[in-house]
Amino acid sequence: MAVKLGVTIGKIRLKNPVLVASGTFGYGKEFETFFDLKKLGGIVTKTITLKSRPGNPPPRIVETPAGMLNAIGLANPGVEAFIKDKLPPLARFKVPVIVSIMGYSVDELVRLSGRLEGASGFDGIELNLSCPNVAYHGPARVFAHDAGLIAQAVKAVRKKTRRTLIAKLSPDVSDIGAMAKAAEDNGADAVSLVNTFMGMKIDLKSRRPFLANKTGGLSGPCIRPIAVRMVWQARQRVRIPIIGIGGISASGSSVDAALLSNAGISGATSGQTGFAQGTAANATAQADQSPDAAKAAETGTGDDPEEQNKKKKGITLAAKVSRVTVLLPTKNN
Amino acid sequence: MPIEQGILVENTPVAPDYYRLRLHLPKIARLCRPGQFVELTLSQTHDPLLPRPFSFMAADSRDIWILYRALGKGTGLLAKMRLDAKIRVLGPLGNGFAMPAASGRGGAADQMVLVGGGVGIPPLHHLAAAAIASKKIAPKNIRVFLGSRSAAHLLCEKEFKKMSVSLTLVTEDGSKGSKGLVTQPLERLLRASAGASGRLWVYACGPVPMLSAVAALCEKVGIACQVSLEAMMACGFGACLGCAVELKPQEEGLRYATVCKDGPVFDSKDILWR
Repeated sequence: MAVKLGVTIGKIRLKNPVLVASGTFGYGKEFETFFDLKKLGGIVTKTITLKSRPGNPPPRIVETPAGMLNAIGLANPGVEAFIKDKLPPLARFKVPVIVSIMGYSVDELVRLSGRLEGASGFDGIELNLSCPNVAYHGPARVFAHDAGLIAQAVKAVRKKTRRTLIAKLSPDVSDIGAMAKAAEDNGADAVSLVNTFMGMKIDLKSRRPFLANKTGGLSGPCIRPIAVRMVWQARQRVRIPIIGIGGISASGSSVDAALLSNAGISGATSGQTGFAQGTAANATAQADQSPDAAKAAETGTGDDPEEQNKKKKGITLAAKVSRVTVLLPTKNN
Repeated sequence: MPIEQGILVENTPVAPDYYRLRLHLPKIARLCRPGQFVELTLSQTHDPLLPRPFSFMAADSRDIWILYRALGKGTGLLAKMRLDAKIRVLGPLGNGFAMPAASGRGGAADQMVLVGGGVGIPPLHHLAAAAIASKKIAPKNIRVFLGSRSAAHLLCEKEFKKMSVSLTLVTEDGSKGSKGLVTQPLERLLRASAGASGRLWVYACGPVPMLSAVAALCEKVGIACQVSLEAMMACGFGACLGCAVELKPQEEGLRYATVCKDGPVFDSKDILWR
């Protein structure tokens, strides 16, 4: 029996729910030699800013137990060079492209999205409201730490674009549901969570933080339980699609993240496992409707009964993606 | 660049904490050039999470040799691996050393000057072997300077002697060769060669203070120098931008390059040495 893997986020139709997370994939080119990128559900680019940024001084990364810290510092060529040099080659892959953008102020975000609106070759915008690795001076703060700022940013960019708009949220908050709601209330088509957690590792020899930036963003399998909890919490508060990010790897145990995020999983095998294995999301999308898979899907994850029922009715498929079994509680697509 | 399952055919201790491994890796081995590296996946679990980069001591059409120091989590695991173990390898990565090109000036032959420190020595062994195999440089025109803290860390001495290159050993504690820093005999050679008609090709690989000193020396004497750098890496092929090294700034200000893709070999004049 044919199984449908497609999901819809805003106006974007993904042929499968696996995307590569922003920052893990550059602008696509480096991964071409590893696998056929056409198999991906979608690509989220490395974040771009109005002006080019060289990034943070080294050391920028350090391994931690089952994870790593990064403080790359949003190194990127700036929007003009991106449109000219990085965007056209992405069209070759024939998968939906979501451009990640960041600005220090609402005004910057508006200018950036305005500039992108004139360009073609991409399908959506992911607002990086949550990068923990850049300096915020004066009144500037991480947008995603404040529901009011999220509201302002989403509302302003919503006016600038008809394309699918996704708000990427930070996990360093006490009420992720409220943050997701602020994005939904102001026109976001979807939310993606989580961005990296602010972390630190001390070098025992120098007794100083390992990273030049002192703190960095923690990612990897170690964060998955927290990411899953946050996706679950957000799901209780919003109806828009949630793209789950955090510690997803090709180890067969990302089912929980996928169960809860009814839009897709971003970063599957590309974030950590991508670096660990030199391959990114090997989205072969082989359908597998094994009884075990269906059973696991039915059991649910502790949602309230209404939610569980919804899921039972909505489960139409299980997809095997590069040894990860992804279960999608979808509406009947 | 390919991904291949290598078969571990040797994993021999060669000095306290130092091991020489040999991986049967025919797809990748034949592509490996001196100064490049590979990434090894050392764990089937998530800890350690990241692969580890290693440069080559040698490579032929079927196997690669890596000389490594078992210092941390990853290399500790590697040292315990048994023969016939399969290790996932990605590579070859990086730009590699630029081999001497014919200077076309006639007169005295070009010379290669190889300056190595500690675990930076093995890639220079690969470089010397490749140069000799190409028949472009005679062994006597390859001048190798090896430095380390003590005799225990002077790697590849036997292998270099077998090649009949010109070999100078220097240890900080005087336990082998002359006492002092490797830059001292190097400086003597560079100054002595100042007027010579043959060109000097200088390559350096080792701890950053050594590289910085060699770079300064070469700049003073007006000779180009290729340095091979190290950095903590995640992806190893230019996607994550984690392995940045600071370059001398130009008009647009701060600049970084990736050690994994733009490097690991750089013109020493381009690096901002701190």
